[in-house]
Amino acid sequence: MQQRRDLSQTHTNRVLLNSQLNTPSWWLPTVILLGIVVIIGWVVIGFILNKGLGVTGLSRPVFWGLMIVTFVFWVGISHAGIMISAILRLTQAEWRRPVTRAAELLTVFSLLTALLFPLIHEGRPWRAYWYAPYDFARGIFPSVRSPLVWDPSAIGTYLTGSTLFLYVALLPDLGNLRDRTTGWQKVFYTMLALGWRGNPRQWKLQTIGGILLSALMLPIFVSVHSIVSWDFAVTTGVEGWHSTIFAPYFVIGAVHSGVSAVVTMMALMRWLWKWGDFIRPEHFDALARLLIVVATGWLGFTFLELIFALYTLEGPELALREMQIFSWPWNVWFIVFLLTGYFIPVPLWLFKKVRNNIAMMFWTSILVNIGMWLERFFIVVPGLARKTPFTFAWESYKPSPIEWFLLGWSVAWVSFLMLLFARFFPLVPLFEQKESQVFTTNVKIGRASVPAIIREQE
Amino acid sequence: MKKLTRRQFMVLSGKAATGAVIFVACGLPERELIVQSPVELPEDLVRGEDAWFATTWGDMPGGDGLIVRVMEGRAKKVAGNPDFPVNAGKQSVRHDAALQLLYHPDRISRPLMRRSKGGALNPISWAEAEIEMINALEAAGGVTVVTNPLRGHLGLVAEQFAALYGGRHIAFDAVEQGVLHGAVDRVFGQSSLPDLDIGEAQAVLSFGADWLSTWVSPVSLSVKYGQFRGQGHRGYLVHVEPRMSMTAAAADLWIAPRPGTEGEVALSIAKEIIDHGWASSGDIGAFMENMPDGALDNYGASAVAERSGVPEERLKRAAEKLGTNRPALAFAGGSTGAHANGSFNLSAIYSLNYLLGSVGSKGGIRSNPASPLSGVPSSATGASLEEWENEIAQWRGGNVRTVIVRGADIVHGLPASVEVKGALRAVPKVIAFATVLDDTAAEADLVLPEKSFLETWGSDIPEPGPGYQTVAFQQPVVGPTVNFDEVGLVSDARGFGDVLLWASGDGLGVSSMEDLVRNASGQLFDLGRRSDSINAPDKRLFFNGALQRGGWWDNGATGDDLGGAAPNFMELGKEAKYSSTVPAEEGEEFHLIPFQSNALLDGRLASTPWAQQSPDPMSSAVWETWVEINKRVAEDLGIIEGDVLFIRSVNGEIEALAYPHPGVPPGVVGVPMGQGHSHGGRYAEGRGQNVMSILTDIKDSETGALAWAATKVRVSKSGLRRKVPKFEGTVEAFPTEPGVPVLVVGPDETAHEAEEANHHLHQQSIYGGKE
Amino acid sequence: MTTEVFGKHKWGMVVDVDRCTGCQACVLACQVENNVPLNTQERYERARGMAWIRVERYWEGEFPDVKARFIPILCQHCENAPCEPVCPVFATYHNPEGMNVQIYNRCVGTRYCANGCPYIVRFFNYWEPVWPESFRNHLNPDVTVRSRGIMEKCSFCMQRIRRGVRNAAKENRELEDGEIQTACQQACPTDALVFGDIDPDNNRTNPGRAYSMINDDRAYTLLPRLNTDPNVIYLAKVDPDREGGAGGH
Ligand SMILES: Nc1nc2c(c(=O)[nH]1)N[C@H]1C(S)=C(S)[C@@H](COP(=O)(O)OP(=O)(O)OC[C@H]3O[C@@H](n4cnc5c(=O)[nH]c(N)nc54)[C@H](O)[C@@H]3O)O[C@H]1N2
Ligand code: SF4
Ligand code: SF4
Ligand code: SF4
Ligand code: SF4
Ligand code: SF4
Repeated sequence: MQQRRDLSQTHTNRVLLNSQLNTPSWWLPTVILLGIVVIIGWVVIGFILNKGLGVTGLSRPVFWGLMIVTFVFWVGISHAGIMISAILRLTQAEWRRPVTRAAELLTVFSLLTALLFPLIHEGRPWRAYWYAPYDFARGIFPSVRSPLVWDPSAIGTYLTGSTLFLYVALLPDLGNLRDRTTGWQKVFYTMLALGWRGNPRQWKLQTIGGILLSALMLPIFVSVHSIVSWDFAVTTGVEGWHSTIFAPYFVIGAVHSGVSAVVTMMALMRWLWKWGDFIRPEHFDALARLLIVVATGWLGFTFLELIFALYTLEGPELALREMQIFSWPWNVWFIVFLLTGYFIPVPLWLFKKVRNNIAMMFWTSILVNIGMWLERFFIVVPGLARKTPFTFAWESYKPSPIEWFLLGWSVAWVSFLMLLFARFFPLVPLFEQKESQVFTTNVKIGRASVPAIIREQE
Repeated sequence: MKKLTRRQFMVLSGKAATGAVIFVACGLPERELIVQSPVELPEDLVRGEDAWFATTWGDMPGGDGLIVRVMEGRAKKVAGNPDFPVNAGKQSVRHDAALQLLYHPDRISRPLMRRSKGGALNPISWAEAEIEMINALEAAGGVTVVTNPLRGHLGLVAEQFAALYGGRHIAFDAVEQGVLHGAVDRVFGQSSLPDLDIGEAQAVLSFGADWLSTWVSPVSLSVKYGQFRGQGHRGYLVHVEPRMSMTAAAADLWIAPRPGTEGEVALSIAKEIIDHGWASSGDIGAFMENMPDGALDNYGASAVAERSGVPEERLKRAAEKLGTNRPALAFAGGSTGAHANGSFNLSAIYSLNYLLGSVGSKGGIRSNPASPLSGVPSSATGASLEEWENEIAQWRGGNVRTVIVRGADIVHGLPASVEVKGALRAVPKVIAFATVLDDTAAEADLVLPEKSFLETWGSDIPEPGPGYQTVAFQQPVVGPTVNFDEVGLVSDARGFGDVLLWASGDGLGVSSMEDLVRNASGQLFDLGRRSDSINAPDKRLFFNGALQRGGWWDNGATGDDLGGAAPNFMELGKEAKYSSTVPAEEGEEFHLIPFQSNALLDGRLASTPWAQQSPDPMSSAVWETWVEINKRVAEDLGIIEGDVLFIRSVNGEIEALAYPHPGVPPGVVGVPMGQGHSHGGRYAEGRGQNVMSILTDIKDSETGALAWAATKVRVSKSGLRRKVPKFEGTVEAFPTEPGVPVLVVGPDETAHEAEEANHHLHQQSIYGGKE
Repeated sequence: MTTEVFGKHKWGMVVDVDRCTGCQACVLACQVENNVPLNTQERYERARGMAWIRVERYWEGEFPDVKARFIPILCQHCENAPCEPVCPVFATYHNPEGMNVQIYNRCVGTRYCANGCPYIVRFFNYWEPVWPESFRNHLNPDVTVRSRGIMEKCSFCMQRIRRGVRNAAKENRELEDGEIQTACQQACPTDALVFGDIDPDNNRTNPGRAYSMINDDRAYTLLPRLNTDPNVIYLAKVDPDREGGAGGH
């Protein structure tokens, strides 16, 4: 099937800068609606800060709950950006081009959102600066033995790196926008474009910068979710947490959920901005195939975790798994988790028809993220609710409405930021798109004309 | 860019400042913003000097010596007085909680008066209150003084005051010990309770009395329990009670008979001991001397097993433990005496001591000597239900003009059948002394704010004593009272004793409790036994010494030997009677066992939040009324934890939250006392339900005491469910593997051996037999 | 200065499970001594009750062969405390006297230490503690009242240790064994709790009571497999009728 159309550069510019140059009519109402939710959310966060964590459903010993689950969830989503941009860039996967920017953006915004949750979830968030290695005369320094110090460092590095990465890739498009706008917008883009002229030296630096950043980001990509997993894994006293497979398990799970989130976003971009020419079924097909591999690996880890757990035959561990898998209402959620996280989407993706059906891909990718959120819930909470053999202290956990709201709010907040960004910056990188067009020629193979990428040999 | 003028700058900074104020005002509490030193360690915070004052809490059964930590005029902590012979420095939750009676936010700060029956209580001055009180006392008609059972000088004052006005003093005890005192008198010929030498015993057989938690003198008995367990050869405890109480849980062998059959269980144990020759012929003689021939024929183990529902094997095991481990002693109380045959049960059980040869011996039952202060009550018990019914008939009949109530919440504690409220309304003047308004004070015409025990003088003669003469002194440990409204401290209250002394003019010969206590100290000084607890050259220093040590005692002054033979208790009413149950179609029939709450007791500490929030030892439940029901029975009835159950007797109905557990005998439900107050301050009011209100008026056949364990009820589901407030989590607490976390060892087993054995057991249970 | 004056001891406690009756006296005594907030009904319903020492009750068997076993559990003052390394801000640390100490004003409230503690003895202030004004009179001035958002736990009655050691230093004498009592120990009517110096060096000439008990035949520690090396030693419950134990092998 021939998906690619030959597009002129003018056409590309017109379509991809649509959002910046003439705002679509749905944009403002949607942003206002999301904005209201966002504002309510900030008020709720203010309320939590004011009242204290008593407003949550947390207890003893379930000291961590929905907010930590949501934190891990968003850190997981953030792995999309690097997976798509850096890895696919380094491996020169051509189909990555239209989605790199959106994926990187998702990384940045989901990281910002993720960081928020541990902060709100602290007893005294106004003391959070004590995590910083800043010896402010009172002689207090963070403890480098604590994963909670590793965490902010890892995530902070990741956030800095991916923001730079995003910005470097944005430069050519900012120059483009500067040249097409007037008034305050021109001032705005001029400042941001940092004097981008598009001369060969700038292109060279930009390309090298991108590749270097990709290479640098790769170890961070692996480390971030490994370190998040160690928040749990180093805790000897919590069955279900103290497991050596957590680092790779978390990383592969993150890729699963992050790439699925990119699929969701691609479908939305294609529909909302009518970018069918750029975001094509073949892209979905490629991502779905990647996902099949990742998801299957992840499923293996999931069962491995259970098997490792059962191998010890320790009372609390057995009780925990018993609760998680067999007792009401966990059992229902466990089945939902397995179905949404793997057993519905993956078998569907085996069919090419499904892989190329945007609506199907949209819904299945959403299912994956429901499943992956539940996975995090199953990792964080049950171990605390069945902690060590002190059955007298075993508890249940019922998140409060506020915690549920914050979960929903975080989705609205990320969408809000994305839409706001999309108003001012192109979501599909123009230069990548054009680069790809330049590299592409149609090659005749028999009677068919097939697009092929031609690269200069250096 | 536009230049900022100075004027604009001022406006802007003003706005910013306002904004900052608003932000702060609606944001975090002020103290959170004060910069704290993050490196100041808690260990560097100890400052100031403290002082510990010795005193006692004369109102409590037992009579424990206390020390109170005072800093800057505030009482900070109550603890046991380590010098005091009864409790040896130890305490219970009740003692700590009592501190909150002093600083209770709902303390009555001024006298309150009702102008007419049914009207509202309005604050008046003490001057007005004094006139009201004198008028009431001088008006024609009888006076009745109602108090909790009082020993020591407060008891003396109450008695003499009532006599002065030609009235009577009647004591109220929700869980009365009259049957107990009667039985002890009958069996040992001594009315005050004897000293139970548990610490030196090798075997203990107790019935019905939750003596580690609430019975008689729980702290001193718990101290002895610790010694009992810590002896070179660890003692063996058999406890017989139809409910798993704290004591039943501590027992090595717990026997749960059908309620009311405890006396028979005791006799079957006696028969076993005699039949196996585990008792000397002299002891058998002392036990059987006054009994008819063949008295025990009917009490063979198999017959009693049948009647009591206790497996025969358990009866025999109990007998063997008692018979083969000496010294051994037997005692009883609590629900065992709270039956129509209560006197029979208790007499039979106390008589066992003759058979065990433990009367008057080490590790047995020893007498307590008479008090060194003659005339001062040294033993106190509440009047029986029968006496109360008579008294209340007088009130209702208009024969009593004035009732003075203090420390006795009769509206809450007497069974509904007595209808106290109506009777109180028929009394022209009811005067109540209270720190916090309780259900009875709320019915009074005149309410007088009373000082707590930490602010008043007094004395106590502990019952049971430690086996030798002991007097405890109570002194004010905090300074003069300050008006509650102004400084947030203590109320403008007066002591009950002081007010009575004032109201009797010179009639009682002294003007204050302080003088009484000082005189008593002088009396003790005059005894000339100066080498005992206090060694002082003159009366003044002697008094100081007594206050410093918390009392006076003489461990050489022991009691006389107890009587030589058991009485013939076979003549007492032997049949247990139970109330009928509502003929209602729905609900299962159960035997109701009310029990005193470990922290609230019968409810007298319900106003203190510390007592309210102190977990019940068995269920860990707090703040509520719950009902213990057997786990399997509950399963059969479809009852799960938190179900609101209706508990109906022929006298009424209460609601309680179901707490099923495996330790409840199947035919029994247990409900704690102490809740269900309509007054009592913010922490007690409208909380839980009052189990006393549904008790039926079955009485002990000998003493007329309320048989509070003889009520039968029907239990049914209301359809509602609430979370049981408790400390335990949401899972039934069984160990996940043997020995974790409570490691249990056999008699000669080490912890290490037990851990290994448990490990093998656990492996077997997992791998199914092979290891 | 702290280390010089106070660091000479290694504090520990022996808990005789065989004596414990579950009476809760220790629990309330600790609460009063250490200004532990009132446990309202709401706190219990939401499993946020605080008890620096708690008495757990375990069932064994079914009626009539049922046992209720009590065990008091407080901070074990682990030498290898899993709660310590996870704290990002050093708000909980090990002091030179073998105690796990909590610095309230340094804590940021992550509750990570509480997850790390396998004995579940750490308590978080979800709400600001509320005391009616009049009850503030009985607060212990030696002990910080914790605000909301921070973690708290048994301190081995640090304030009493400080007073004891200072008094002995002031009077220029050695501290006597048993001179310092924790509030829970002081209350316990059955003498199930014995606190003292368990440092072998300090016990060489004149062994203290706690020290002489830690090698008892019945001595065991909780969750030994986690290798936390607690300074709280338990003495096993004795059941004279125990079957299937080592006695039978
Ligand atoms: N403290 C400490 N830690 C160590 C080491 C050490 O020397 N000391 N050594 C390290 C090394 S080299 C290794 S290889 C690892 C080993 O670490 P593990 O593999 O954890 O070794 P084990 O504890 O010997 O055995 C694990 C469990 O398997 C159970 N088991 C035994 N046989 C069977 C069976 O047939 N079926 C099943 N299902 N279970 C069985 C045992 O009861 C035990 O609970 O430990 C490493 N960690
Ligand atoms: S035994 Fe467990 S806690 Fe210890 S080093 Fe190994 S993995 Fe870590
Ligand atoms: S709750 Fe406080 S003490 Fe515990 S880990 Fe967090 S900051 Fe440290
Ligand atoms: S018992 Fe828990 S809180 Fe105490 S030192 Fe050990 S790990 Fe830390
Ligand atoms: S040692 Fe002190 S702080 Fe610790 S549990 Fe006992 S009383 Fe509480
Ligand atoms: S005070 Fe002593 S006997 Fe009572 S619960 Fe505590 S440890 Fe057990």
